[in-house]
Amino acid sequence: MKKNFKLENLDCANCAAKMETAINKLEGVSANISFMTSRLTLEADDSVFEAAVEAAQKAINKVEPDCLIVR
Amino acid sequence: MMNKKQKKRLAVIITALVILAAAAFCEHFTEISSLYLTVPYFISYLIVGFGTLAKAIKNIFRGQVFDENFLMAIATVGAIALGEMMEANAVMIFYQIGELFESCAVDKSRRSISALMDIRPDYANVLRDGEEIKVDPYDVKAGEIIIVRPGEKIPMDGRIVEGLTSLDTAALTGEAEPRSAEAGDDVISGCINMTGVVRVEVTKEFEESTVSKILDLVENAASKKANVEKFITKFAAVYTPIVCLAAALTAILPPLVVPGEVFAVWIYRALTFLVISCPCALVISIPLSFFGGVGGASKLGILVKGSNYLEILARTETVVTDKTGTITTGTFDVEEIKAESVYTSEELLDFAAYSESYSHHPISLSIVNAYDKEIDSTRIKSVNEIAGRGVCAEIKLSDAGRMSEGKLDNAEYNTDTADRSQDKVITVHAGNAKLMNDIGINNVPVLEKTTVYIAVNRSFAGYITFADKIKSDAADTVKKLKLLGVKNVVMLTGDKKETANKVAAAVGIDEVRAELLPQDKVTETEKILAGKNPKKSVVFVGDGINDAPVLARADIGVAMGGLGSDAAIEAADVVIMTDEPSKLAAAIGIAKKTAAIARQNVIFALGVKFAVLVLAAFGYAHMWAAIFADVGVAVLAILNSIRALNVSKFQ
Repeated sequence: MKKNFKLENLDCANCAAKMETAINKLEGVSANISFMTSRLTLEADDSVFEAAVEAAQKAINKVEPDCLIVR
Repeated sequence: MMNKKQKKRLAVIITALVILAAAAFCEHFTEISSLYLTVPYFISYLIVGFGTLAKAIKNIFRGQVFDENFLMAIATVGAIALGEMMEANAVMIFYQIGELFESCAVDKSRRSISALMDIRPDYANVLRDGEEIKVDPYDVKAGEIIIVRPGEKIPMDGRIVEGLTSLDTAALTGEAEPRSAEAGDDVISGCINMTGVVRVEVTKEFEESTVSKILDLVENAASKKANVEKFITKFAAVYTPIVCLAAALTAILPPLVVPGEVFAVWIYRALTFLVISCPCALVISIPLSFFGGVGGASKLGILVKGSNYLEILARTETVVTDKTGTITTGTFDVEEIKAESVYTSEELLDFAAYSESYSHHPISLSIVNAYDKEIDSTRIKSVNEIAGRGVCAEIKLSDAGRMSEGKLDNAEYNTDTADRSQDKVITVHAGNAKLMNDIGINNVPVLEKTTVYIAVNRSFAGYITFADKIKSDAADTVKKLKLLGVKNVVMLTGDKKETANKVAAAVGIDEVRAELLPQDKVTETEKILAGKNPKKSVVFVGDGINDAPVLARADIGVAMGGLGSDAAIEAADVVIMTDEPSKLAAAIGIAKKTAAIARQNVIFALGVKFAVLVLAAFGYAHMWAAIFADVGVAVLAILNSIRALNVSKFQ
């Protein structure tokens, strides 16, 4: 499944790049973050998708604690 | 135009500035000991820098060492330790001003793009059980009737069943001229209804409608990153650690190795390095440029599906174009009317128009168009279509009676004498050479063009030839493409050589490959791709009908007339919403401008940073210069990026 999420409080472009790298390191997840549109595109297997979003949120918070995936 | 968070930051900066200015004033113009002044300096530093310091500490605990908060914290704390109070304050304040400006600029460009893309309808007025209710566009099903009032957006694709109005399509096509629409016409979601109330039967549900497809496409465009963008992100990831390492070495090595050098001087230089090592200016300015380019293009009704395509488009070397629907309109224009001596060409056109008036063939339509008078259906006695041949019709002569009886006698007119005085009826055969053969006319002139032969009462009366209508902006497009550095424009067509060559010559196209079958177009495109300069790209432009394989095969596939054609929107990398070929030149122009801006930003940002690094290493650059290298460059690069949004000169 591939889904597009809005990100809240995404403040810096370099952070966005770091988050993207961090999420892509997760097993079976592929991600793309656009700083300009403040959006995250996440692709993962249907069965683990919820868990993947959860893990992505954690990875994001490691870089920027305020940044939230809008679900 | 600042949000709450930004206003708060501005207030913090101003407060710190005021305290700092007061302290600096006291230091220079009063006798207060500078020892006491350390207190206000320190306060202003804490006010402006607290957020950064706190974030830096938190991030260290989360394992994020090389982020910009950390770098700024170390640099300024180091400056304070060296007794450079003023410097620490200035750097922190400039850094904050830069951050604030950056966030405002990004917001501004985000807003201007979302305004461009303001085509999403918020609701639909649907008619259910005789009552009109306002619902979410997602809840309307195909086949339902919706009501659209003036000023409202058409929420989904459909067909007008009642009403008359004009539509503003500017948000989709960049076209200022409103389009009129009435009952029976198809309407496309995203247009704004301007004048009248219309009832529309929904033909496509919201998710399948044009507006959803376009929004989806634009939202996903930013996720296809350009190579420069990928490069700069990777570069940033190594740049910061390397500069930090260099800073560490600068602080330690020279004082240890070179006799007479003091730590304080080299530590100051090292701190300056840290300020320069922030990668944000680079990382932000590149996607911002492409974002602006994609947004600017959509202002003109050109949808680019990703930043990467803009990058490839900027390197266009060869444009391969389809003929019909791209260079030509696909409708036919009467080129020549050649009547046998007994008729005038008006008469011949009159016969042809009346006999063809019931047919929907494109040729028939253009004959009727060329006739340009009301067809009086009472004059048509009978019409027979003969498949693969043409038509045979019985027509009364026009009341105007332009044709003398003598002429008709010459043409061996032969009918019941009782009718002659009132309703003169003639038999017209209009069609190809085979039809003429069938009625015993064997010596018609053979022409290398689309031709309709006409016989009156089984004797040859003349012929009409047709030319594919060339789009009004086609020649101009080729000229503009050449100015944009396109070396070769190649036209592929299934048409006859002579027709194709004629069109190519009229438009200024370099090369023609005619009489191709659809699969040949792919082979020809592959040949061109094989012979190109590997750094350049080959663009194919077509109308999206039957050319999906070529659209996919070329480096960039551009589909024209995308408005209303889903297949084209899906198959292409770039979609031109109108059917003007000149938009291709505009797209390449925008791509070039955008790529140039991105390049300028990379060179400028790297150049300034590197220069300041070198100057700092030799002790010529203060932290002031360093903060300019960081924040100033970011701001300038952002301002430069915003230029990509301005596309007025390509209109």
